[in-house]
Amino acid sequence: MTYQDDKKEGLHVLSALVENEFGVLARIAGLFAARGFNIESLTVGPTHDHTISRMTILVKGSSTVIEQVKKQLNKLIEVITVQDLTETGNFITRELMLCKVNCNPKNRVEIMKIGELFRAKAIDFTPGSLTFELVGSAEKADNFLIFLHPYGIAELARSGVVGMNRGSGGLQSQLQKKLASRVEEPTREEPEPV
Amino acid sequence: MSVANVVDHPLTGQSMPGAEAIIQVLADEGVDTIFGYSGGAILPTYDAIFRYNANETRHGEPIRLIVPANEQGAGFMAAGYARSTGKVGVFLVTSGPGATNCVTPIRDCAADSVPVVLLCGQVPRAAMGTDAFQEAPVFNIMSACAKHTFLVKDPEKLEETVRSAFDIARSGRPGPVVIDLPKDVQNTMVEFKGSGILHFRGYERRLENLNQSRISEKRAQQFFQMLSLSERPLLYVGGGVINSNAAEELREFAHRFNVPAVTTVHGIGSMDVNDDLCLHMLGMHGTAYANYAVDDCDFLIAVGSRFDDRVAGKVKEFAPNARFIAHIDIDAAEIGKVKAVNWSHVGDAKTSLRSLIEFGRSFEKDFTPWLEHVRMLRQEYPLTYDKESNLIQPYEALEILSELTNGEAIVVTGVGQHQMWAAQYYKYRNPRTWLTSGSMGTMGFGLPAAIGAQAANPGKLVVDVDGDGSLRMNLGEMETATTYNLPVKILLLNNQGDGMVRQWQKLYFGHRFSGSDKTLHMKDFVKAAEADGYQFSKRVFDRGKLRDTLKEFLTFEGPAFLEVMIDPEAGVYPMVGPGQSYKEMVTGDFIKSRPAPKDGEKVDMTTIPDLF
Repeated sequence: MTYQDDKKEGLHVLSALVENEFGVLARIAGLFAARGFNIESLTVGPTHDHTISRMTILVKGSSTVIEQVKKQLNKLIEVITVQDLTETGNFITRELMLCKVNCNPKNRVEIMKIGELFRAKAIDFTPGSLTFELVGSAEKADNFLIFLHPYGIAELARSGVVGMNRGSGGLQSQLQKKLASRVEEPTREEPEPV
Repeated sequence: MSVANVVDHPLTGQSMPGAEAIIQVLADEGVDTIFGYSGGAILPTYDAIFRYNANETRHGEPIRLIVPANEQGAGFMAAGYARSTGKVGVFLVTSGPGATNCVTPIRDCAADSVPVVLLCGQVPRAAMGTDAFQEAPVFNIMSACAKHTFLVKDPEKLEETVRSAFDIARSGRPGPVVIDLPKDVQNTMVEFKGSGILHFRGYERRLENLNQSRISEKRAQQFFQMLSLSERPLLYVGGGVINSNAAEELREFAHRFNVPAVTTVHGIGSMDVNDDLCLHMLGMHGTAYANYAVDDCDFLIAVGSRFDDRVAGKVKEFAPNARFIAHIDIDAAEIGKVKAVNWSHVGDAKTSLRSLIEFGRSFEKDFTPWLEHVRMLRQEYPLTYDKESNLIQPYEALEILSELTNGEAIVVTGVGQHQMWAAQYYKYRNPRTWLTSGSMGTMGFGLPAAIGAQAANPGKLVVDVDGDGSLRMNLGEMETATTYNLPVKILLLNNQGDGMVRQWQKLYFGHRFSGSDKTLHMKDFVKAAEADGYQFSKRVFDRGKLRDTLKEFLTFEGPAFLEVMIDPEAGVYPMVGPGQSYKEMVTGDFIKSRPAPKDGEKVDMTTIPDLF
């Protein structure tokens, strides 16, 4: 997916690597609250290096505001590195959504069909409800919901967006290089994956 | 880096309670004074100080403990200590109310980039989150205010945490660091390592980049190209120059290239106010000639300053004739935050100015007409006031103070009119001799900060220029000065109310003095000082006795208190209203202004409510 259109509207996907320490999430959320930056979603989880967590922050604002968000994030002691994925133009994002929709014997199949069209997976089924798991872009999730609304949505949970660069331009590989270059060890370029 | 990192520590491998490890790290960091107030959750650490000082075989000098009346006082004492020396100030308080009383000084230090470390007790780890006695969510509260906050959950990391707190407080853009110490962590036996810090990969890398950051030859060429294309260059100097101890480089830069300088409230002292090239403070209450120079300059060189709203109220019209703006700052987030600039460098002021001086070795340009112009501005539009009045004018009191102390005292202030008068009329000569709460504007800062500065500078004359409103805020600290026989001179300019608030109420709220008039307040400050043990405690009403009393007050050996009853109508001028441009500056009845002031011109009330 691409966020080109969102760029005009000022929706940016920031990816940050942070020390996996107590309180980092609170501090980052606090920074956004105190400075009046608008977060659309914020996700956090550990990476393959368990000392590092990755945060994906969806934030709205003009490019000046985003620049300031990045700089302010960079001032936090536990932030290792920050990147505006939107700016790179070459990135992927995904969101996980669980949606429980009301159903009855008459409309069950119809709802299942809609799910199939969106490649959503039915993961729980009771006489009165059907729960889908949908993985994709935020827009895809939004569109899916438009179709489910008429049946009555009972519960909804969305994970918020996670994202990273395509190919070799990732934050963590860059970080490895940066950390490696500090001790002046020669680094080898990773071959571009086909 | 702490000393302990370099040599093997004599206590390495020794087992001790966490509290002892804390005090040993403080001693290793060179801490000679701790400001603080004890209480349940910090008792183990207070006991460790006592035992440390009583131990004849201790490794280091004894640590002096100064106990304030209120924890907020301890915070400002540590800030006064840090601001006047550049060293990290330390304060130590208990959990709950002890810690929350420190929120104001912590935020104040963050806003003014002052390196301090606050250690506060916390309820034992098992009790955290249970609404225990004297429990407060210090980590959350302080995270929003401090440069960094630690909660020590693992006693094994205690030693490294304390050491890292010092490193973080003084590195990069300095700031306050808070360590929340659960009581049981202070009591846990740990093995003292003697070295080691916590590692923060991002912060360390950014610091390293910052420390290695140099202006490239190409960038320097661009800078000097702008300088050669300009006819009216002006330095706009902020607290960054004081923080990086770059006053010498700044003065050299100004004189080498013949560039005059204006300073922000925190830049005061970076240039000698008597220097021909120093145009003193700019901004809301800057001198008229400084503000006119900003209006007239065609190249503005910002060094360690941040286009704050008290300087650039109307950003678009700030330095309207500047063809170029250059900005040097240690904090990348300040570049372009308020005003777009043509040239910038992220780096420390000292090395940046030094390298510009080096790169400009062969630079020659004659700025004589501009220098003549600013000299004319200084002569034509000086600060002045009603010299005929029978009432004591605060400006005169400060002029006399400046003269009697040769501009060399450490002047500390509260917040309000007296603060601005002290900024304007005292002729500062050296950095770190002007301590004020600039960004947060915390009333009550003056007295405790003066006590901290005096503790750090035993031989120096420290004068707290205070107002009646500000002094009341931390009046309990009057006693702290006499208790420790710290010879602080408290000069109270009493105008019986909150003068700055009244000034705004006169301008923008139809002279309705809601909550700001204190003429009926009963406080007898002179008696209060006497009660707190001041051997010198006097009041002056009579203008004729002002000079002699001031002289007597300043030469008194111990702590001294002098209340000067000033003209309650005295205002702070010049004044650029909030959100206004320098063109709209009003200079009052006595200071000359450049465009003839239009009679009866009032500020448009409709533009005021949103502004501050």
